[in-house]
Amino acid sequence: MEKRIVISGVGSISPYGAGANLLSENMLALKSGIAFNETLSEIPDMPSHISSKVPDIDFSYIPRQFRRSMSNMSLYAYGAAVEALESAKVSDMDGVALFLGSTISSMQTWMDFAGKYAAKEFNEVKTNVVFKVMNHSPLTNLAQSLGISGLGLGASAACATGLMNIGIGYSALKHGLISKALCGGTDEYHPIMTACFSIMNAASSHFNDSPSRASRPFDAKRDGIVCSEGAGMVFIEPLEDAVKRNAHIYGEIIGFGTNIDTKSISHPSRARISQCMELAISDAKIKAAEIDFINAHATSTVAGDIEEAKAIEMVFGKAPFVNSLKGHIGHTMAASGSLELIATLDMMEKGKFAPTLNLDNVDPACGDIKLFSKPTELKVRTFMKNSFALGGTNCCLIVRRY
Amino acid sequence: MEKKTRDEIVQIVNEALIKEFELKSEQMKPEANFFTDLGLDSLDAVDMVIVLEQAFKVKLRTKYEIGKIMTLKDLYDYIENLMSEAAQQNG
Repeated sequence: MEKRIVISGVGSISPYGAGANLLSENMLALKSGIAFNETLSEIPDMPSHISSKVPDIDFSYIPRQFRRSMSNMSLYAYGAAVEALESAKVSDMDGVALFLGSTISSMQTWMDFAGKYAAKEFNEVKTNVVFKVMNHSPLTNLAQSLGISGLGLGASAACATGLMNIGIGYSALKHGLISKALCGGTDEYHPIMTACFSIMNAASSHFNDSPSRASRPFDAKRDGIVCSEGAGMVFIEPLEDAVKRNAHIYGEIIGFGTNIDTKSISHPSRARISQCMELAISDAKIKAAEIDFINAHATSTVAGDIEEAKAIEMVFGKAPFVNSLKGHIGHTMAASGSLELIATLDMMEKGKFAPTLNLDNVDPACGDIKLFSKPTELKVRTFMKNSFALGGTNCCLIVRRY
Repeated sequence: MEKKTRDEIVQIVNEALIKEFELKSEQMKPEANFFTDLGLDSLDAVDMVIVLEQAFKVKLRTKYEIGKIMTLKDLYDYIENLMSEAAQQNG
């Protein structure tokens, strides 16, 4: 028999700082985490000069023997994971599974390593470089430092990574393959990230003088992604265990859907996105009409936002309210699915939802969906969280208020 | 390799290891064992050689004896000997 799975712990490192509560708090206050990036502005022919970065956080509390092999993405994941475990009141790591990934490994570490290699100074490279650039570096760093010795699985699905790991964890728990899990995504910013999107004309470049206005999903003047960083981790377990421990329940995961869009490696399609939403709805054994809120993936790219909005229209009509939180903090890449899920859980609890920041004029091409431009009080019982990725991976997760 | 006094060697080694391994100066006693007293492990041992090679501008990793060093005093002695040998060869 399938088990009911709940989220009983949340943790976040975001451009707002360390703490899951900072997400909804700052988003409802319409605060932007996006700023001018001097490094980008100094790169010849780089059209985008903006990014969103995690403020300086002192991670020296992590013992050196664990910290030495951690690049920023592992430090962020550690901070978020410890907060998630504390909020879940879990200290015994026995039986905890870990599902965690990033889009790529630490670019700065690779650059330093490759620079030494190219300069024939290879023998100056220290041993921990390899542990910082392994594809599963955050996963193994967390396992080592927190003593997680159960199943460790790191899905890496570009921008859908965070939600994919939560979806896999949920599926494994539901069928009794594991007993509890820490799940999420993490990424660290590097200018190359912005460069990658600029090459595809998908990074915002018309708001370099007004960074807080640059990320504007669904808005008529949107012109691309603003790259960001962070880590979002959730602790999930069967309902009966959370109740037994008297844990706070942030929400119950009732459905997950994932597919790969094979029409294009870069271009999302409404057909496959809507199919992914239907898969999640089917997994949840509910009707589309039962979903009263959607936290969209919408990254502020011209094409992506249209395809997602049209897919929402196809499946739901104009019924559910829709927002994207990337207007506030940009695209936190592998962390986006989990960070935005955590923010939405908090908004569901508060009964108040942040609008899509900078949504001044809805692009008519985004169809007729229920977007809003001011913080809005809503009684939401069931919401869908979307995450889509370059390469075609789509993920949709459905969460119900408990 | 420029000849250095014992005190200079001790100072350079201590500064390099304190910085690399976040040690405290009061831990830097000559009899301190790298593994049991300073909490280093095999990866740190490799990094220690890299750090010392850079501090003294000398190749250490190819030398067999480096693997037998267990305490700070062993290390000071080893580097001092190495410098004396180098000075004799050059002289």
